[in-house]
Formats: sequence, structure tokens, C-alpha cells
Amino acid sequence: MKTVAVIFGGRSAEHDVSIITAHIPIIDSLIASGQYDVWPVYITKDGAWYCDKQMNELSFFQEEGWEAKIARMQKVRLSFDKGLTIEWPGFFDKHIKVDVAFPAMHGTYGEDGSLMGVLRMAGVPFIGCDLAASAVAMDKVLTKQILEAEKIPVVPYVWFTRDGWMEDAEIYRKRIQHELKYPLFVKPVHLGSSIGISKVRDEKELENAIEVALHYDDKVLVENGITDLIELTLPIMGNDELRCAHIERPLNKTGFFDFQDKYLSGAGKKGGEGANNAYSEIPAGIGDEETQKVKELGMKTFKTIGLAGIARIDFLLDSKRHHLYVNEINTLPGSLYHHNWKKAGVSNMDLVLGLVKLAEERFAAMKDTTFAFKSDILTKIGGAKRAS
Amino acid sequence: MIKNLWTRYHPNYVRALIYMLQANEYYPFEYMAWYHRTSDFFNIEKRKHLVYTTKAILLTAFAWTSFVWSFVTSAYVAYQTGLPGIIAAIVGFIIAPFIVPYTLFLLIVVLNWLQIPIEAYIIAKAKRRLRAHKAIKIGIAGSFGKTTMREILKTVLSEDKHVASPGGSHNTPLAIARFIESLSGNEEVLVFEFGEYYPGDIKKLCKFVEPDWGVVTGINEAHLERFGTLERATGTIFELVDYLKSKSGSFSKGSFSREVLVYINSEGTVRSRDDKSYIFYGQNGTEVWRVKSASTNIEGTTIHFSHFDKDVETHSRLLGLHNVGPLSAAADIASRLGLTDEQIQKGIEKTKPFDHRMQPRTDGGVIWIDDSYNGNPDGAAAAIEFLKTLKGHRRFYVTPGLVEMGSRKEEIHKEMGRKLAEAGIEKVILIKDSVTPFIEEGLKEADYKGEVIWYDFGPTAFNALPKMTVSGDVILIQNDWPDQYF
Repeated sequence: MKTVAVIFGGRSAEHDVSIITAHIPIIDSLIASGQYDVWPVYITKDGAWYCDKQMNELSFFQEEGWEAKIARMQKVRLSFDKGLTIEWPGFFDKHIKVDVAFPAMHGTYGEDGSLMGVLRMAGVPFIGCDLAASAVAMDKVLTKQILEAEKIPVVPYVWFTRDGWMEDAEIYRKRIQHELKYPLFVKPVHLGSSIGISKVRDEKELENAIEVALHYDDKVLVENGITDLIELTLPIMGNDELRCAHIERPLNKTGFFDFQDKYLSGAGKKGGEGANNAYSEIPAGIGDEETQKVKELGMKTFKTIGLAGIARIDFLLDSKRHHLYVNEINTLPGSLYHHNWKKAGVSNMDLVLGLVKLAEERFAAMKDTTFAFKSDILTKIGGAKRAS
Repeated sequence: MIKNLWTRYHPNYVRALIYMLQANEYYPFEYMAWYHRTSDFFNIEKRKHLVYTTKAILLTAFAWTSFVWSFVTSAYVAYQTGLPGIIAAIVGFIIAPFIVPYTLFLLIVVLNWLQIPIEAYIIAKAKRRLRAHKAIKIGIAGSFGKTTMREILKTVLSEDKHVASPGGSHNTPLAIARFIESLSGNEEVLVFEFGEYYPGDIKKLCKFVEPDWGVVTGINEAHLERFGTLERATGTIFELVDYLKSKSGSFSKGSFSREVLVYINSEGTVRSRDDKSYIFYGQNGTEVWRVKSASTNIEGTTIHFSHFDKDVETHSRLLGLHNVGPLSAAADIASRLGLTDEQIQKGIEKTKPFDHRMQPRTDGGVIWIDDSYNGNPDGAAAAIEFLKTLKGHRRFYVTPGLVEMGSRKEEIHKEMGRKLAEAGIEKVILIKDSVTPFIEEGLKEADYKGEVIWYDFGPTAFNALPKMTVSGDVILIQNDWPDQYF
């Protein structure tokens, strides 16, 4: 039986969301399949790593005092000797060799490529996008810049860093006035789950929104709001051969699809459908032509950024002028957007086991790539031995 | 055996023994057969749990007493033979768990023997009451389909008659006697299901109930392990026919006068097909209730009958074309009892799936068909045939296989596999036991294109199913695997 380590939690604003994603549907489906020995690897908000099978139950994280319970557990460490091994140091040294890692961390240190870097170093197959694609997708500005270069339409934007704003705020204010048109959206560049995002209608609101965004991130994006807007999102899975779920249209009541809509509006629904299930139209009723356009653009974006395994592409559709823009990429959709996949005919187990298979295929393909070669550079380089 | 030795010394050991006696309906030899083939007594209650009835409590008390007694006496014997006290106590402790199962066996044999005159008294009393009852008595025998036939008859005939029948699986003499005690005396039709475990069982029930009409639903390998051969099973089930033929001619019940009738399922094993006294029924209906067309889907079964010169279109909520035969027989019996075509039509419309027999329910858009009480080859074939008719659904077939198939278990399960492959079932979920590997072999033989998924236990598979399925999928649960067969 193969061992899968599901890694979740972490030093991120989306720490709690990650716990949900890890359990629904990932751990639930892996255990239900009976095909894997599942080890939950939980990273606390301050970065400590723990691994205990008690944490395979979501209820563990819902009980009073769970954090104190974890603090009493023994921390684990990782070893990269011929793969990834989780170790419990001590007199009776215990260790588990990991066959596949399933990152279930949203946001910083997880979804941004940091974790993927660790797993690459360990040489263990892991689910989802690789380091470079994750890092790009995490940076909304970098994503837009790459997409623009590949002639994929994006909404006009202005960006700056915290230092840049402190030093040249006036220049950016002017650029925003000239290049963009109210209403605008102000976003922290690296955060997901719509945290720190504001919709602004005038300059006064803009100042406050930038202050809020800079509180969460050191890089801020200001972009045009779209009139006659239809927000759309499309989950896609695959490596070379891609499969799209349904195009989903969030039917939020607030100005935009915020954290509350994404993770709490459907809460309490049987089966942990969670997410925005209650406020979504699946599939979005945008007509066959627009549907086709969204899917084609989604798949092109997936390939352009070099995504793998699973991702969710968000779009903005100007419904009157029929202008379609790629807005953001999410390399680990909350709860893998399993509610959408189910409606598209992919069960939770098919989704999760399918992702494991994709990870193994990608890893096998990578093995054929040569990363090192033999050279005599060391013998030829000059330099004498230090005198003892 | 050696590896699991410790399980005999676990406090739950006694509970496991009592549970298995209960699961085997206190049949001592079946219990002993289970005991001899079992080595791990720790995880026995996989599917069900011990119910603490008075009998179970008394047996538990007896078992613990005999445990202590075995321990003390064996220790005493060891001591007397010269072993030091502490070693004698250890010897007693080691031996005790091997003695208790046999003391329980002996107790059950004695109890069953003591029960004979009590049961005989209860049955004789019920027999007198039943003989005085004016109702027409219909007896149903067969390896499979008895409960379905009983329920169909009860539902259809109730359109015009006051019908009663023992509920659940109450088909033993004692259970029937208890049912007779509950009768009001106003019933017009009584429907009895005759259970057969050993040769002579049906004959005994016939002498007790004295049925006027009989229905033989079909014969197959169900309980073959107990009967040994299909011929013996056939002989036992046809004891009903022998009885009815022995009293052939006509009988009168109040104003109702009729000849003795024997309905036989023409699709099953029949002792002599050219016997003119039989009324055959099957997917073509009966001689007077001819089926012109029939179709089935997830909503139920539609049958277009031709009754003499009249067309009667009926719809039942029962799933599968295998119900056409029993529904035709019920229509035939009903019309002989004086029900109009309209009443029969209404009666058939009221028939619906019975508990755990092709019983559908929808959960989150997934259609579950519970056929867990259906553990015979014909029933399984009918269920697969029904799945085959469903188009546009992804179909999951979940089974631990069939029990008590005797020497034919390999062929029967391979045939199930072949049928599943031919039906193009997308996912076959098998529970690991002694027979399911044969299903897999059958699937391979028929070049199965779908996916086979294995689980160690049924409950684990059931819990996993919601995570495997999406709206529109159909899951059929075929048979249950009682703990005594693990």
C-alpha cells in the first residue's frame, strides 16, 4: 500500500481553509479508496510540523483545545535521503517513507511554490503545479505580465511595491488616474481567497484600499473594474491532456466574491460542499459560444503558465461587449472545487485519485530528464591547497 | 491458528461464541462448523452485533460459569495429578477456552430437545385454530422469490379481500404458529411463506397449515450447502406440490368452491413439465393472463396483459422484468378469487419494492438499489439483467458474493462475473472473501472492460461509495455476507 502525506495548514492567511481542503475531499477520499496509507502532515501558523493519524479526522480540528493538543505532540522532521521520509526523532526513532505528497496548503509558503521546492528537493512525486508555475500564479502581476506577452487578454492594471508606494505614491496615483477607470479593484498581489481585496469608487476609497492591501502584502495591484460584469471560474485538471469541469458563475450578493462567499456561505450543507456552492450557477448560463471561448482560453492559460495537476482559472466577462479577460489563477482551488467536479461527473474519489495518478505520471516523465552531467571543471579550476 | 490463539483468552471470546450461536439461529451443528473453521475470534461482529435477548443473556451467564468451572476443574485435575498449585492454575486457564464452546454446544442440543414438546404443543394448538378458519390458504415454497410472491399476493388480493400473512421472514413452524394466534378470524385469504432448511421441512409445514393452493417460485442453489444436491432441494420444495396433489380435487370455503391449484414458475426447475395439473407462470404470464409486452426502468415495470379478450395495462413500482411472472401469477390468482380486472390493475399499481429487495432510494442524485436480502443466483442474475436495461447511468455493482452455494460456488460466481461483463457494468466492487475471487475470474474470462475495486469489508465499501459517485450514478447492493460465513 502506498503512503501519501497530505500537507496542510501553514503560515498563511488561508491556514484554516487549508485544513478543510485537506480533509474534504483529499483525506476523506484517499482513506475511503482503501488504496493508501494516509498520513496527515499539519504545519502550524508559526511553522512547526506535526504528523499524527488523529489529524486524519476533520473533527480533530473542530474540538475545543485542539491547538494545545497538537502542541503536546512530538514535532516531526523531514529527511531527503532517496525520497521523502517523515521522522519522529527520539529514543525509539520512528519514520515513514512517503511515496506521494499531496500539498493542500493555500497561499504563502504552500501554494506559492515554497512547498513544491521542498518536495522537488526531496525527489518525491507531488500533486498539483510545480514550483515555477505556482510561484507565477501566486503573483497576480507576474501572471498578467506573462499572459499579456502571450496575447491572452487581461484587464488594464497598475502595480507597485510597498517601498515604491512609500517613495513614489504620487506617480502611481497619477498612473491610476490616467490609465485606469473607476470603479477599481485593489488587491494584495500574493494573497488568495479574496483576502484584502477592495472595490473602490473614488480616490478616497482608493487610499484606504491601498492601505488595507499593503497591510497584507508588500506588492499591490490596482485594476479596472468591468462594467456589465459576469465573474466566471473554470477548474481544469490534467498534465498534457486537459479536462475542464463546468464553468461556474458566482452569484454573490456583495460587490465581489469575497472570503465569506467563498468559504462560509455554503457552510453547514450536508457533505461539506462548503465553498460557494450555495451562491453559484453551475454550469454558468452564458451560452454555448461564450462557454467554448472560456474553455479554450482557460486551457491556453493552463499551458502558458505551465500548470499541472489541477488549477482554477478565473475570468471576467463584459457581458454586453462580449470581452473576456483572464483574471487570476488558483493552483490549489479551495476543496479542489469538488462541488463543481461532481456536477461535471467526476466523483471526489475519481478527482483525488486522478490527481495522484497525474502526479506520478509527471514525476515519471521528469525522471527521464537529465539534471546533471559529468564534467572535469573541478580538476581544471585553479587554486592551491591551504597551508595547514 | 497459533497466531490468533490469544483471541480465545480475550474477554470478548464468550461474546463471540454467543453471537455466532444467535447468528446461526441456535442450530448447534452450524455453530460447531463455524467454530471449527475459525481461528481468529477477535473481530467476529463485522456486519451485525449480538442482541441481548433473554436466551442470549442466559447463555452468556452459562458460558462464563462454564468458563470458571472449566478453569477450576482442570486446575484441580492438574493439581491432583501432581502438578504444583500455580502450574495447575495455568493449565486450567489454558484449557478452559477450548472446553467452553463444547459445553455451549451440548447445552443448545439439550435445549432444542427440550423445546420439541413445547413447540409441538404450540403448533398443535395453532393447527386446530387454523383448521377452523374459513380463509383460503395459499402456501409459497421455493429457493428464492418467496417473500416477493407473498407481498405481491397480499397487495393485489387486498384490493377486494381481507388478506393476512406472517411478516418479515417468519416462515418456520413456530413463527407461523405465533402468527395464527394473532388472527381475528375474519380473514378471507391467508398467505404463508414456507421456509426450507432440510428435507421434510415443507412437508411438515404443509401438514400444519394444510394449504388449499400452492405457488412454487423457483429452485436454485440457495441453501445448497445444507441440501447437498439440487435434486434434494427440488424434492423438498416439491413436497408442497406432493401435498396438494394428494388432496387434489375441489374444496369449498363458505360460498367459494374451487379445485386445488398449483402455480409453478416456468422459468425455474420443474419436476415434470408436462403435468397438466400445474398452472405455469413466467415472463409470458399465465395461460389466461398473457403478457403482450413488458418493460422496466428505474421507475418500475409496465406490463401489458391480455386477459381473455380484454387488454389490461398495469404498472408496478417493482424493478426488473423478473417480477412479471409473479405479478402474472398474482393476477391469475386474484381473478380466480373473483377480483375484477380493474381491481387487479389497481392492486398491481400498489405493489412496490420490499425491504432490501431491489428497493431503490435516491441520495444526492445517486440512485441506490438495495438488493441485500437477495442472495441467490437467479436473483443476482435478475438484478444484473435489470442494470443492463439502464442506459445513460454509470452503474456500480457491489457484492460479497452469495453464501451456501456448496460445490457449485465456483461456477455460480464465475457466471455472475461473466454476466456483469456482458452487461457492461462500469464498476464492480467486490468484498474480499472466499467466493469473490471467482467473480473476478468470470469478469476476466468475459474480457471485462470496467473497473474492479476491492474492499476488505462491506461497511468500508458502503462508506466509500458516496465519495465514488456523482449524481445520476446507480449503485446496486447485491446480498449481504453474514458474519457466520467469514
